[in-house]
Amino acid sequence: MAPPKEIGKPIVPPCQVLRVRFSPDGNTLAAACTDGTVKRWDVTGKEPRELPAIEGHNGWVTDLVFAPVQLFTIDSWGSLKAWLLSDGSTVVKPRWAVESAHDGWIRAISYSPRATAVATCGKDGFVRIWGRLRGEKWEEIPVKSDVHSVCFAPDGGSVVAGDLFGIAREYKYPGGKLLRTFEAKELYKLDRIQDVGGVRCLLFDPEGKTLLVAGAVPSTGGFVQCTPLIVAFDRASGKRLWQWKGANDNEGYITDLAWHPDGFVVASASGQPGQGKVFFLKPGESAPLFTCPKPNVHSVAISPDGKLLAASLTNANSSGNGRVKGAGGEYPANTSPIQLWEMK
Amino acid sequence: MRCTPAEHHLSRRQWFGAAGAAGLAGLATPAFAEQLKKDRRQVLFVWLDGGMSQLESWDPKPNTPFGGPFRSIQTAVPGVRISELMANSAKIMNRLAIVRSVCTQDDSHSAGVDRIQRGDPKNRGVVYPFFGSAVAKLVGAGDSGLPPYIWVKPMNGGFIFKDAGFLGPRYGALALGDGKPPENLLRPKSLTLEEDEERNELRKLADSRYMTNRRKEFTEANSYAFEMAAQLQKRVELFDTSKLPAKDLERYGTHDLGRHLLLARRLLEEGVTFVKVTSYGWDTHGDHFNGANNLHPKFDRPFAAIVEDLHERGMLDNALVIACAEFGRTPRINGHLGRDHWPQAWSVCMAGRGIKPGVVAGKTNDKGTEVASDPVDIGGLFHTWWRALGVDPEKVHYKNASQPLPIAHEDMKPVKEVLL
Repeated sequence: MAPPKEIGKPIVPPCQVLRVRFSPDGNTLAAACTDGTVKRWDVTGKEPRELPAIEGHNGWVTDLVFAPVQLFTIDSWGSLKAWLLSDGSTVVKPRWAVESAHDGWIRAISYSPRATAVATCGKDGFVRIWGRLRGEKWEEIPVKSDVHSVCFAPDGGSVVAGDLFGIAREYKYPGGKLLRTFEAKELYKLDRIQDVGGVRCLLFDPEGKTLLVAGAVPSTGGFVQCTPLIVAFDRASGKRLWQWKGANDNEGYITDLAWHPDGFVVASASGQPGQGKVFFLKPGESAPLFTCPKPNVHSVAISPDGKLLAASLTNANSSGNGRVKGAGGEYPANTSPIQLWEMK
Repeated sequence: MRCTPAEHHLSRRQWFGAAGAAGLAGLATPAFAEQLKKDRRQVLFVWLDGGMSQLESWDPKPNTPFGGPFRSIQTAVPGVRISELMANSAKIMNRLAIVRSVCTQDDSHSAGVDRIQRGDPKNRGVVYPFFGSAVAKLVGAGDSGLPPYIWVKPMNGGFIFKDAGFLGPRYGALALGDGKPPENLLRPKSLTLEEDEERNELRKLADSRYMTNRRKEFTEANSYAFEMAAQLQKRVELFDTSKLPAKDLERYGTHDLGRHLLLARRLLEEGVTFVKVTSYGWDTHGDHFNGANNLHPKFDRPFAAIVEDLHERGMLDNALVIACAEFGRTPRINGHLGRDHWPQAWSVCMAGRGIKPGVVAGKTNDKGTEVASDPVDIGGLFHTWWRALGVDPEKVHYKNASQPLPIAHEDMKPVKEVLL
């Protein structure tokens, strides 16, 4: 594999972007934004072309996931919405919406074509599974913990939830029976009175045999200095297969994971102020294939054909700049430039 | 100084009235004890070191560019909304007062902590006392037989004389590290009471000789520490956290801040004049929103519990409750999804003695970036707190040697909207 090559200048939306994902046909890139919108770009041409944004959420849009002709979005006020997207036209109304899917912050969403459902998890301690077509609640799983991440198994027969304390639990679907747990307790630390860390991302390999559990080994609360860590578990036995740990606690926690069709993993890391990286990892190897330093990376996505990589970053000098005002006294928000790379 | 602690004890008339009604035994009557309690003036000062975000607590701005992910919720006071992370405080908002227009001068921890707790007075070449030491001096120790200024904090304890500034070391804080009494407080079993008394007499003699040609403040403070230890030896049960009621621990939380606020309640019940409870770790420059989601409820729950408990015990009439920090946090969200230091526009919450309940004073603009009413600096808050305690900063001054010094910044005024 050749090193990824940056394509042009980054797209700069006027806010921070917590998640980026490509549509199943690879033509559209969507971004979950802290201004409560979902921004979209047509990425088929030489330059990304902005499409009408999707509005209607409150707080932050925290995550999104594509299904064929559908996009599911969640927000920090507890709502889940499904949008019909046959093309890049203006979308005014959701196909369906559950305004109180969770009590407050929904942290993650996962779609399973086999289960024809989406799973959501929230800080209210639940995983809930919703029908794809009409949004009816099919399952409710009380995890009884602060749940940060959720992921359907590729066969659609189970769902995994990762919590604040470094525990991932796999539940049978349908039924909600606890099947097994994957423990990565080094992803958690009690610092003074702050519970720090957690399983921030979960990712199955395409065959569903290996589960990646990712976050960071926290050194402190407050600043949250932490060393990124990905632990690979054998799904059947629950045993650890391999792990990859970052170099130091300035690299931050793993914010997102993607599995490239060629069998390597792309991970983004939050980084300390102004730092952050995109790592390209070969499973089981300690040294990354490539590393792209970029400030405070929130998310990464790979196009379905594996040829495009997108990452949402943060603008330069975005940390410690809270008191800085513009020349005209303005006080703009920080932004998340979205960088695209070509991968061969 | 025009005002002395003695003036705030029982008047002679009250004293003789109570004692005369029941002879000397009257000193121990419930009526007399009740009178003593009624005349107490106390402070609970909760310090959230590092700076709690006003946007995720007292002054939320949901659905704005800097509002963050959380919702606001309705409180017990119609029209007043606070962050959803403060659900318990919302229920007792009718007992709280919030100043949302706090605008202070320092954005660094190292300088900010001192400037805020000393009231940021004009520079007169002296080190002003922390509020706890100032209250210990001006309000006095009361009738508790306990030190007037006790600081409950994580980690180490000891006698923190630097808080006292020019008042002199004896007005420093007795710090209870993790709520525990000072180490080696108790008389060793190998030492008899008589032997201990003999040793103390010898110490006093040595102190007296040592003091002859030296500044008396330090020797006084040293002697005071021994006197304090003697007082505490008689009250060690106060610090036995294993005897904190399990039901209350559940209400307050078993983490440091919960346990320490519960201990604070016990100390206030015993009549300690000023109890400061410090919680560290609020400097959430990174991953702030997960941090706030975790931290704020750990403040909210025991804070609401102690305010409610003080109310139920009739103690809110006497005790001024303050929740404060060295600054708030930036509206702008940094790249690490954190909030930085922001003294320009933040909030302070208070309740109890002299405070009008259910009130919000001042406001910030729509995005929370600036104060949109008259800004209130810490000097103004000191004026407010003193008046709430019945001390008029226009009339009461410190006396440092022969130098009269104001007890609050003389160019500033109290926040009248929150005063009864």
